[in-house]
Amino acid sequence: MSLIQIDNLAKEYKSGNEKVIAVNNISLEIEQGEFISLMGESGSGKSTLLTMLGGLNKPTKDKVIIDEIDIYNLSANRLADFRREYIGFVFQSFQLIPYLTVIENVQLPLATNSHSKKLQAELASSILNKVHLESKGKRLINELSGGEQQRVAIARALINDPMILLADEPTGNLDSKTSEDIMNILLELNQTGKTVIMVTHNPVFKKYSTRNIQLSDGKLIC
Amino acid sequence: MKLYNISLQSIRRRKARTAFLVTGLLLAVASFVTLFIVSENVNQSVASDLDEFGANMLITPKSDGLNLNYGGVSVTGLTFESGSLKQDDIALIKTIKNRDNLSIIAPKLFAASKIDPAGGAGEKNIIVSGVDFKEEIRLKKLWQVNGKYPAKENETVIGSEVNKVLGLGLNQKINLNNEEFIITGILNETGSQDDGLIFIDLTKAQILFNKQNQLSLIEIAARCYDCPIEEIVRQSSEKLPGAKVTAIKQSIESKMTAIHRFEHFSLGISSVILIISLLIVFTNVNASVNERTREIGIFMAVGFKRWHIIKIIILEVLIASFAAGILGFFIGVAAAKIITPILSMNESLEINFSYILLLTSAGMAVLAGLLASVLPALKAARLDPTVAFRSL
Repeated sequence: MSLIQIDNLAKEYKSGNEKVIAVNNISLEIEQGEFISLMGESGSGKSTLLTMLGGLNKPTKDKVIIDEIDIYNLSANRLADFRREYIGFVFQSFQLIPYLTVIENVQLPLATNSHSKKLQAELASSILNKVHLESKGKRLINELSGGEQQRVAIARALINDPMILLADEPTGNLDSKTSEDIMNILLELNQTGKTVIMVTHNPVFKKYSTRNIQLSDGKLIC
Repeated sequence: MKLYNISLQSIRRRKARTAFLVTGLLLAVASFVTLFIVSENVNQSVASDLDEFGANMLITPKSDGLNLNYGGVSVTGLTFESGSLKQDDIALIKTIKNRDNLSIIAPKLFAASKIDPAGGAGEKNIIVSGVDFKEEIRLKKLWQVNGKYPAKENETVIGSEVNKVLGLGLNQKINLNNEEFIITGILNETGSQDDGLIFIDLTKAQILFNKQNQLSLIEIAARCYDCPIEEIVRQSSEKLPGAKVTAIKQSIESKMTAIHRFEHFSLGISSVILIISLLIVFTNVNASVNERTREIGIFMAVGFKRWHIIKIIILEVLIASFAAGILGFFIGVAAAKIITPILSMNESLEINFSYILLLTSAGMAVLAGLLASVLPALKAARLDPTVAFRSL
C-alpha cells in the first residue's frame, strides 16, 4: 500500500460570498522514498494541498490516508502527535522563532516529549552537523544568513526523524547558489529514505525530484 | 528544551513587550500596596484618635441601687458603699490579655461635699470628682479650660455650671471638707455631667473624704480597631468579679462607622485598580496573541497540542505577573513610606516587612495575570491552523 493516498480530495473556501475551490478532486498516491516536485501557477492549490497532506487543513471532501491512517479522522491531540511523528515542514520564509537560538529552534519539536536535556542536545547537535551549522547553535536567528536560516528550518524538520518532509518553496527566498545547497540537502535526505514533497515555481529543480506533479486551478494536470 | 523554556526565552528576549506587561501590572500592584499601607495607617490613626476621644468602657461597682447617671451609665457609690472598686483594680485591668488595647484608664472617685466659697456665698452641696488629671485630660479631648489644669494637690478645676451657680472665679479659694483649694481653671461648657462637678486630684480626694484606695468608677478608652470591645469587656469582668463592666456601644458604633468608611473607600479604590490591571494584562496578552499568529502556526506545524500553546502563553504571563507582583510590592512600600508622612497621618510610621502582604501582592498579580490571559490563550489554542498557516 502507498505511503500517501488521496482520492478525489477537495477543498473549498468561502471568500466573502464567493466559493473558491482551492483543490478540486485530486487523486494521488505517493510511495515511500519518492521526491515529488509540486508545480503550478500562484493560486493553483499547491500550498493548500501541501498543508492538507501535513494534517493542518481539513479537506472538504474525501480523506487523506498516510501510512494507513485516516489522519483527519484523528482527534485534535492525536493529529498533533501524528504531525510531530510523521511530518517535517520547511517553509519559504523559514518560519523560525526569532527569540530562540539556533539550537533551541531545532529542539522546538522536542519540547513536548520526555527526552532528557542531554539527549535533546545530542540530537540537535547531530542534526546541525548534517546541515553544517554545528558552530552556530548559540546564535540568534537574525544573526544568520537566509541560507543558514533555511538549513536551521530543515534541521528542525528533521529532529523527530519524520517519514515525510513537506517543503513549501524552500528556495523561494534564496539566491541560486544557496538554493542549490538546500536542494542538495533535500536530495540527500530523500536518498536516506525520506519522502520529500516540495512545492516550487522553479522548473530547474524538477531534476531533483523522482516525479513532477503539475496543478492548475486546483486540478491535477499531470 | 521544554515548554517553559519557550516562555522564559520569550520573556527574556522580547523585552519591550515584557516590560509593557510587567509595568502595567507593577503599577497596579504598587498602587494597591501603597493604598493598602496608607489606608491601614489612616484607619489605625483615625481609630486610635477616635478611641481616645472619650471612653468606650465604664467600670462601676456592682449594685442593685440606682445612683448617679454618668454618661448614660448609672454609677453606684455616691452613698459611699463603693467598697467593691479599688485603686488596685487598675493594676488588675492591666493584666488582661488585650491589655495593649487599653489606651486610657481614667479612675474617679465621686464624693458629695459642702462647698464654702471664700466669698461668703454660704455653704452649698456639690459633687467632687477626684481624678487622675493626666489620664482625664487625655480622655476628655473636648475639655477647654480657662486658666490651667491643677498642678498641685490643693488646686482644682471646676465645671461651668458650678461656676455659674456659685459665682466663682479664677484663683478664688474654696473650702471642701474644711480644706482650702485654689481654682486654677474653669471648664468651658461641655454639655455633660462634667459641667456640674468640681475636679480635684484623685489621691487628695481619697484622703479628703476618707476613702483611701476606693474608686467610684473607672473610664477606659480602648483601641477597638483590631479587637472587639465585647472581648475586652469580658476579660475585664473576669479580672474584676465585683465590678460591672459596661461597653458604651453608641460611642463604639460611631467610631467603627467612621473607620469602616475608610475601609470601604480603600476597598473601592483597590477594586478599581484591580479591574484596570486586568484590562491592561488582557489587552496586552490579546494583542500579543494576535501578533503571534505566525508563531502559533509554527507551534502547530511542529506538533504542539492546544494545551501546549495555552501553557506557553499562560506561563509567560504568570512569570511576568509574579515578577510584577514582587517588584510592585517593594515599590508600593517605598511609595507608602514617602506618602504617609506627607499626608501627616503618622510621621513616625514604621512599615514592617510583611511576608503576608508580599505574598498577597505576588498572588494578586499572578491571579490577575491568570484571569486576564485565559481567554487570549484559549483564543490562541483555538486558532484555525489554516488561518495560522496563511500567515506563514
